[in-house]
Amino acid sequence: MRKILLLKNIYEIFKSIYLTNIKFRIGFIIFIIILFFGFIVSSFAPVDPTRWYTFPKDLPPSFEHPLGTTTMGRSVFWMLVESIKKSLIIAFTTAMIASHVGLFLGMIAGLKGGVVDKVLMMITDVFIVIPSLPVLILLVSLLKDYLNLYLLGALISIFSWPWPSRQIRGIVLSLRERGFMKTASLSGMPFFRIILLEIMPFVLGWHLINFTNTILYSISSEAGLAILGLSLLSDATLGVMIYWAHMQWYALMRGIWWWVVSPVVTLILIFTSLYLISIGLSEYLNPRLRQRGA
Amino acid sequence: MRVSLGLIKYIALRTFFYIFTIFVALTVIFFLIRLAPGNPIENIIELMLSQGSVYDPEAINMLRNSLYEMFGLKGSLFEQYINFMRRLLVFDFGPSLSNFPTPAIELIMMRLPWTIGLLSMTTIISWMVGNLLGALAGFFERSKFSKILQGIALTLYPIPYYVMALVMIFLFTYLIPLFPLSGGISILSEKITLEVITNLIWHAMLPALSLIIIGTLGWWFMSSRTLTINTKTEDYVTYAEIRGVSENRILRKYIIRNILMPQVTALGLALGSIFSGALLTEVIFAYPGLGDLLWRAINARDYNTIMGVTSLSTIAVATATYILDLIYPLIDPRVRYK
Repeated sequence: MRKILLLKNIYEIFKSIYLTNIKFRIGFIIFIIILFFGFIVSSFAPVDPTRWYTFPKDLPPSFEHPLGTTTMGRSVFWMLVESIKKSLIIAFTTAMIASHVGLFLGMIAGLKGGVVDKVLMMITDVFIVIPSLPVLILLVSLLKDYLNLYLLGALISIFSWPWPSRQIRGIVLSLRERGFMKTASLSGMPFFRIILLEIMPFVLGWHLINFTNTILYSISSEAGLAILGLSLLSDATLGVMIYWAHMQWYALMRGIWWWVVSPVVTLILIFTSLYLISIGLSEYLNPRLRQRGA
Repeated sequence: MRVSLGLIKYIALRTFFYIFTIFVALTVIFFLIRLAPGNPIENIIELMLSQGSVYDPEAINMLRNSLYEMFGLKGSLFEQYINFMRRLLVFDFGPSLSNFPTPAIELIMMRLPWTIGLLSMTTIISWMVGNLLGALAGFFERSKFSKILQGIALTLYPIPYYVMALVMIFLFTYLIPLFPLSGGISILSEKITLEVITNLIWHAMLPALSLIIIGTLGWWFMSSRTLTINTKTEDYVTYAEIRGVSENRILRKYIIRNILMPQVTALGLALGSIFSGALLTEVIFAYPGLGDLLWRAINARDYNTIMGVTSLSTIAVATATYILDLIYPLIDPRVRYK
């Protein structure tokens, strides 16, 4: 596993996960397709997708409007690809912050041990127990006027670092007992070199899994907040689409199902594909899981 | 139950952790509010006045005072903090701003039974069914039934409750109109008759189903299946098999009993997110619980009620976790006698 750190091997490793693990393969393909729609197709939008009344309203799916139009006269398809992009930007922001904070704190707790470990883990546990949604609601409702994609992502990350941190700590703890770690610290290797050369190669794969899981967490939090009307309501994210369709315009009651079903199906595809990627990776890193078929 | 030193130490540690959690959570909320830009109180009052309602200036002044105290903006920072804590701990959230002057706590108390009813029923059902199904699927790992359930669980696991709620609405109110789209009850009656109860259950069906399906087949099924597969290969299980203990007994006494303990801990850790999920599911179905109250409060910018629901649910989730921790020694003799 040590070779994971070497860049030239990353492609080889990816290929071997991709070829041996069917869950990873399915998840990866679906996610790439979603990324393609979100970041490439969305830039070909013929009109500003968030502008109102550019099209006749409430049209069912047709050749001209692949996913129909909304009551606000927007094209559901162009709204959807724009929403995928914006939702993923929020999620990447969260994942960048939370998974790295988790990595950092988890490594410190695991390596330092003693009081540092106890205090850090206590704080981590408190953040796991606090119901995140209510606090986020309060926070976003107070900051509503200042909200943008990155701020929203950063706010969600306040509650998404504890799980990565706990996991990394567990792995570091188990590494600490291994012979090579003792050799490294007895031979006077500096602390940062130990982290970089002895710990990182083992932790990196799990870090990637945490990164994926945090994306998942962030997208679902954003959708949750948006349903309550606490997101960028004039912009387009997957949650905001559901907000306007279901909470404001009662689309299903009026039979405009395409407006609700499109974001919901997209969300389910994103969740499932990221989850498959995440378990595919952990099966690769922990072959015992593979045999058990878990 | 023999009380041992280990048990006392365990309970003391849990109690300390419980108080510490609530303390940290409320402190976080306090500083969040202080960090928020602008003066929320003047905004609120301006908003109330701009909505065209005419209030007695005396009442407005009282409201302003109470709001300053509520949001911890009166006196020195330390005084503010103490005041904030004192008021939250006696559940004094001040008057609701959208239903002035009804106290926010009164509104919350009216909604609370709905949420607690829905949440406790669905959590208990999905935890039990999920663990049982998971244990069976893990025990008969190679059966077709196990593999099909595993496939379904794998797909459902990462989906949040409220997205499932939307799927349910699409399936059962739009495609096959079996259940009502929203609300908690559609008959207004003082007496509790059979009709009222059926109506109640009929409305609770879809929200409950979306909570149970994701809960059961997602979380509890997957984790209990993995735990069972791990436990099955333990030496003591193999030994029991060789000794000729019946399959049924092995499953009940050797496996399920052992997987229940980590699952109780997991339930404690998951309560926060189950609660959040339930709140949003209520919003989707306009089910008259705390979630729906919260949604209305957010729309009306009723900060007092938002604050009330927020802190109350934080305390409630921490308390539920604490109670689970206290039940733990009852199931696990190792904690009891250590």
